[in-house]
Amino acid sequence: MDLAPVLDGFTVVLEPTNLLYCLIGVVVGMLVGVLPGLGPAATIAILLPITIGIEPVTAIIMLAGIFYGAQYGGTITSVLLKLPGEASSVVTVFDGHALARQGKAGTALGIAAIGSFVGGTVSIIALTFLAPLVAGFALDFGPPEYTALALLGILLVATVSSGSRLKAVVAACIGLLLATVGRDAFTGGERFTFGSLNLADGLDFVPIAMGLFGLGEILYNLEERHTAAQAPAKVANVWPSRKDLRQSSGAIGRGSVLGFVLGILPGGGATLSSLAAYAVEKKRSKTPERFGNGAVEGVAGPETANNAAATSSFIPLLTLGIPANATMAVIFGALLIQGVSPGPQLVTQEPELFWGVVNSMYIGNILLLIMSIPLVGLFVKILRVRPAILAPITVLITLIGVYTVNNSVFDIVLVIVFGVLGYLMKKIGFDPGPLLLAFVLGTLLEDSLRRSLLIFDGDATGFFTRPISGTLLVVFLLVALVPMIRAAMTRRPTAAQQNDTSKELV
Amino acid sequence: MTVLVGYVPTPEGDAAFAAALQEARRRGEPLVVLNSPRGGAPVSADVAPEDAVRRMHERAGADGIALDLRQNAHSGDAADEVLRVAQEVDASVIVIGLRRRSPVGKLLMGSSAQRILLDADRPVLAVKP
Amino acid sequence: MSSARDGARTPGSPGGSSAAGATPEGDVVTTRAAETTPSTLHDLEEAVHQLEHDAEHRPPPAGTTTNLVVATLVVALGAAALVGSLSLGAGSAGNPGSGTWPLVLSIVIIVLGLGLAATARTTSDAERFSRSSWLVLAGLATMVVFVALVSVIGFEIPAALLAFVWLRFLGGEGWRTSIVTSIGVVVAFYLIFVAALSVPIPHLF
Repeated sequence: MDLAPVLDGFTVVLEPTNLLYCLIGVVVGMLVGVLPGLGPAATIAILLPITIGIEPVTAIIMLAGIFYGAQYGGTITSVLLKLPGEASSVVTVFDGHALARQGKAGTALGIAAIGSFVGGTVSIIALTFLAPLVAGFALDFGPPEYTALALLGILLVATVSSGSRLKAVVAACIGLLLATVGRDAFTGGERFTFGSLNLADGLDFVPIAMGLFGLGEILYNLEERHTAAQAPAKVANVWPSRKDLRQSSGAIGRGSVLGFVLGILPGGGATLSSLAAYAVEKKRSKTPERFGNGAVEGVAGPETANNAAATSSFIPLLTLGIPANATMAVIFGALLIQGVSPGPQLVTQEPELFWGVVNSMYIGNILLLIMSIPLVGLFVKILRVRPAILAPITVLITLIGVYTVNNSVFDIVLVIVFGVLGYLMKKIGFDPGPLLLAFVLGTLLEDSLRRSLLIFDGDATGFFTRPISGTLLVVFLLVALVPMIRAAMTRRPTAAQQNDTSKELV
Repeated sequence: MTVLVGYVPTPEGDAAFAAALQEARRRGEPLVVLNSPRGGAPVSADVAPEDAVRRMHERAGADGIALDLRQNAHSGDAADEVLRVAQEVDASVIVIGLRRRSPVGKLLMGSSAQRILLDADRPVLAVKP
Repeated sequence: MSSARDGARTPGSPGGSSAAGATPEGDVVTTRAAETTPSTLHDLEEAVHQLEHDAEHRPPPAGTTTNLVVATLVVALGAAALVGSLSLGAGSAGNPGSGTWPLVLSIVIIVLGLGLAATARTTSDAERFSRSSWLVLAGLATMVVFVALVSVIGFEIPAALLAFVWLRFLGGEGWRTSIVTSIGVVVAFYLIFVAALSVPIPHLF
């Protein structure tokens, strides 16, 4: 393997600007993870206007830092307050908070920090070897392969999204429809623009992302009832004992591998891997009754896995140009704004960008580890700020920020419209993630599909004549149809069974 | 008829609690402790931590006084909340702790003690640590 | 807690605890799962959902009417898109035109919308619109006022108004705090965006 570009990447990372933005990203990420309300996807979306004025490498370094920083930030509230700050830290509540109640909050936080560091680092090393391989393999992809890949990616994300699958697929279809607004690349004609000059070039990604994720989430949170307040928790013993470390080492190792593998799959991601890691640790343990009462493995496993997964979920984006989850979709958009097209050619054509981002994750993980324990007290203090104060500030940052992109008031209108859409979608159970993901992939998908049809002369079975696109499409059909078939099959026996139980009760 | 004390985990609050305990003993009435944080934030410095709560129960128990601790959050003004609860529990006296505030501090942040003293429709006992 | 999750559920069977083979104790297991720690991935999911639900205090689920209305809206959207794509030219598989892809999408949306209508009775992941939804409407109104006024009188006054309404009425803060914070926020924004960054946003001062 040619190591020169990898080493060049380190030179890029060690530039003072990039180091600074890495630090900013990680700190913002931890803050976002600690504070209830906004998540990393929403924060990255709101900060998109900032990325316009800086170098692509610097921008992505910061955004990546926000993402994996948030995985750790969520742990702090899970452990200390039994409040999961992030979806991927929910599992940590079980044993992490139990440890805190026993006065061992520092142990839990320390193990989580170490696990996060190891998981992230192992994941980056694996990424370093795997990514160029995948990219090289994908260079041979043609339009049929991209069609199949995009379809599969969208379907997988819709499958694993929160809320019903049906609604997630509807959301994705709406996203694909929105991508058609504007000029048709093939014929040059206008589509769905309703004569508006503003829509002639298509819908801009930034207002949609900022509105859907940013304003949508803020509006949605307005309806949340107050959580009961707690007294500020004190963190006493700051570091885990050697016994704890030895006990967790297995969990950390397994968590790294599990997280890495599950993170690559579109739709898998940090949350799924934290759940899986917890389940694995409990199954493996010779003393499973300790779980839920302060088993360190119950903290080490999930925390390692979620950071490993957060890192490896960059692989599909950076090597294939396919975002694996909603946050990656926003980062995809950030790259597009900068004029960088993600895809297999990224590794070879923009090695400084690729390796700069990858290597920045090493630094980011080190920063996380260093800052995590000393800053815990600070983060807990920040939790005293009432969300009612942060909300209007975030709204104004979004409204004014979106203006700075194109100096256009129409963008502010657009961000509000999509804010309402985002709110309504969350309210009635449609996950906005698949919509944005489908929107960013929409143009690619349609282009590839039309090109493929031209290649195959309109014969859709042509997809199956090529090995890669054929396999991907088969997987697509399996993922789409199998759950429906299973649901149909299980509904009939259940009806019969319910009749039985009612007889038993009588 | 009860004794109501507005409590926060500060020296003023502790002084108020001690005074309220005495009042409750003197009047032979149960004690209601209002420890209500401003709603919204997950963490608030106004909430009495577990050991403080335990000590309150111990001291009340030692004096044979029934203790009702309310820690639910409120939105809006703290003074309004105290007055509202005073009405609800039919307090015969409201006990509060007084804190020094500079004139500028009073202007920017107001004084709930002042509001309670002026707006209450029942006796108020203001205590200094 | 963030709601824009990156994958919150395993692709398990939608049948869940009522799948064939589940014992009549299924319901008991689900409630117990909230107390004892779960071992299987499915129990884990249940416990996680319970925890998130307890932490978030959201309104109750919506009824069948709401679900049907939603389904109707989806079908209507699909139908509108269908009409639009036909007018663009449907094309064919061998000769895809402008409207081919939107046509495919609109058909899929209509079919899925009908599916939503069919399952409207059992859907429970939508929330009921309650009194707190008026807060959202108020928040939205402030944003509309902001965008309407910003090009006319600059951003300072609309922003201060927006912040004030959010703090005082949507956030339950006191008068003093709301006024002071709104002014503080606008000053900070002015210093950052206009003075430091020279963003050409319409401003009065």
